[in-house]
Amino acid sequence: MKSVGISRYAVAVVAASLVLAGCSSTKSSSTSPGSSAASGGSAAAHGKKLTIGVSFDLLNSIRSAEKNAIQSAADAAGYTVVFDVADQDPQKQASQIQDLIQAKKVDAVIAIAQDGQQISSSISLAKAHDVPFLTIDRAVADQQSVSFQITGDPKADGAAVAAEFINAAKTTPLKVLELVGGLTDQNAIGRRDGFNAALVGNPNVTIVSQVPTDWKPDQALDGTSNALQKDPGINAIYSPSDFLLPSVQSALTAANRLAPIGDAKHVFMVTIDGDPNGCKAMKAKTLDADIATPVADFGKQAIAAVTTATGGGKVDPQTVQAKGLTLNQANFATTSSQVWGCGS
Amino acid sequence: MTSLPSAGSVGIWTRSVLRRQPLLPVLVTLLVILAAWYDGFATVANLRNIAVQASPLTIAAVGMTYVIMTSGIDLSVGSMLFLAAAVESSSALIDQPAIGVFLAIGATGLLMGLVNGLAVAMTGVPALIVTLATMQAFRGAGGHITGQQDISLPEGLRGIGTGSLLGVPTPILLAAVTALCGGLVFSRTRFGRYVQAVGSNHGAAVDAGLPVRTVLIGAYALAGVLAAVASLTQTARLGAVQPSIGQGFELTVITAVVLGGTSLFGGRGSIGGTVLGALVLTTVQTGLVFSGSSPYVFDIVRGGVLLVAVLAAGARWRVLARTVGLTSRRRPANAGRADTAGSA
Repeated sequence: MKSVGISRYAVAVVAASLVLAGCSSTKSSSTSPGSSAASGGSAAAHGKKLTIGVSFDLLNSIRSAEKNAIQSAADAAGYTVVFDVADQDPQKQASQIQDLIQAKKVDAVIAIAQDGQQISSSISLAKAHDVPFLTIDRAVADQQSVSFQITGDPKADGAAVAAEFINAAKTTPLKVLELVGGLTDQNAIGRRDGFNAALVGNPNVTIVSQVPTDWKPDQALDGTSNALQKDPGINAIYSPSDFLLPSVQSALTAANRLAPIGDAKHVFMVTIDGDPNGCKAMKAKTLDADIATPVADFGKQAIAAVTTATGGGKVDPQTVQAKGLTLNQANFATTSSQVWGCGS
Repeated sequence: MTSLPSAGSVGIWTRSVLRRQPLLPVLVTLLVILAAWYDGFATVANLRNIAVQASPLTIAAVGMTYVIMTSGIDLSVGSMLFLAAAVESSSALIDQPAIGVFLAIGATGLLMGLVNGLAVAMTGVPALIVTLATMQAFRGAGGHITGQQDISLPEGLRGIGTGSLLGVPTPILLAAVTALCGGLVFSRTRFGRYVQAVGSNHGAAVDAGLPVRTVLIGAYALAGVLAAVASLTQTARLGAVQPSIGQGFELTVITAVVLGGTSLFGGRGSIGGTVLGALVLTTVQTGLVFSGSSPYVFDIVRGGVLLVAVLAAGARWRVLARTVGLTSRRRPANAGRADTAGSA
């Protein structure tokens, strides 16, 4: 009995350790020598080398590009970066940011919020410690309390997608399957609303099916397959992220509908992000257009704002919405070099 | 010369089937209503589409049925699916012959299941805690292997999700074989009976000298192997391994099992019910796309189905409690055997 009790205790400890290990398993930091851990305020003004804590919601293709953009801009400014990933867990992100501010005493925090509401407590904590808090890519609820925020412009990106559809519909009326991302994600909602609003009053583009994906590839695959079964006349698909593109392509392949531009079976498709999936499909001419997120701008402007904020200045403008760059078959040769996913 | 069954014997058989599988008329009614309402729903292509989509869920849910039958739970099934996919996409395996990859993935599933099973069986730490920890650990390991990047699978590894044999899609064949073997093991083998006995009354099973630990380890190991098989099917359909694969899958799997009549308290349930649960969930999902419902309705319906499943399980439990003469909330020690005889 005693040994069972001990082993039970031991496994409970191991289990807890595993959970804790999970909390820190994706943590990494740059190893620039002589990094300072000066706290907040006007470190930059005093000539100290700044340490920036970066907290991401997750790490995927676009996040890797955003991480590289921040790292490059920070390297150019001579700053050190401490990088955390929250694995899509808002509580974990809050703990990591607390650790960055209180234990690692970073000079500024740049975050991509897993949850735009729940991150408010982390923003308050940073404010209490006089640490500038910046957010990129995803808007937060408490925008007045952040030093700087740069995001994409999801509504403008959705409208840019719609413009491609409207242009294509001049020759052939389009029956559209619209995939929707996470219904609690402002980017997903903005991309949906911008797209839908821009199509109002256009008789040649008809949305015949709206399918939620929750940003999950399996739901995108099943949803696309179901919509193609429901309406075989679908001849256009709007995917709100390149991330869902492999799923859409698989569904089209299964339905014998994946074909390049010019083929009678071709389904007109536009996505957003400009990641390597999108670029590859653009080259194969199975994708008609991709609205590329200006990832490099996120990094450059965020680091510039860190310099201003840690120097005691006010960042102006406080919030920036950067519109995506339209990459289509007409401008691919000249524009693809500016798209982050086409360079990797 | 065999005589035709009488109307009375057919009626008795029908009542027996309906008593054991109350979800069957639900599925049939659902299919009839959807077929009547929506053109194109009752086509062979769409029914095959539903069956293909239900296949990975069915495969994983068969394994989960064994676990829940032991009054356990496995929250790590989605992460096991992802880790198996990550191993499949690793540089060491991705270019190997398909059969070698499949064996390696099976071994990976077995190993993950053994980790869960050994931790639960040898220590007595609640399965909820153990698998919560391994859920984190397995997903972290998968992320480490893939670098959180999208990885395309070669054609050789996609056949298991996109191929067919004698006109029957491979995922459906795999799911059918899994369900058939799972049902046979459940109802015709000593292991299956022991699983029910352990779940019905753990203490009595120990007192009776049953190999309780071995049974528990076997149930979790089986769940691990089947999660890996589900992974092979799912990733082959998607054509790629993506970091978010399997996220939230555990809830869908558990919903299918509970909807199929397996008690969360263990001891009673059936593989047939689980298969029906998976088919009902997938049919509802497809029906929602055909209905053109708002994306928000999808979540409401998914939550509603789970609620109905739990309420139905509770109602069945109360009926069973009355049948065996219990008035308290304590579950009957031999409920499993009373309810599951021949029901697989």
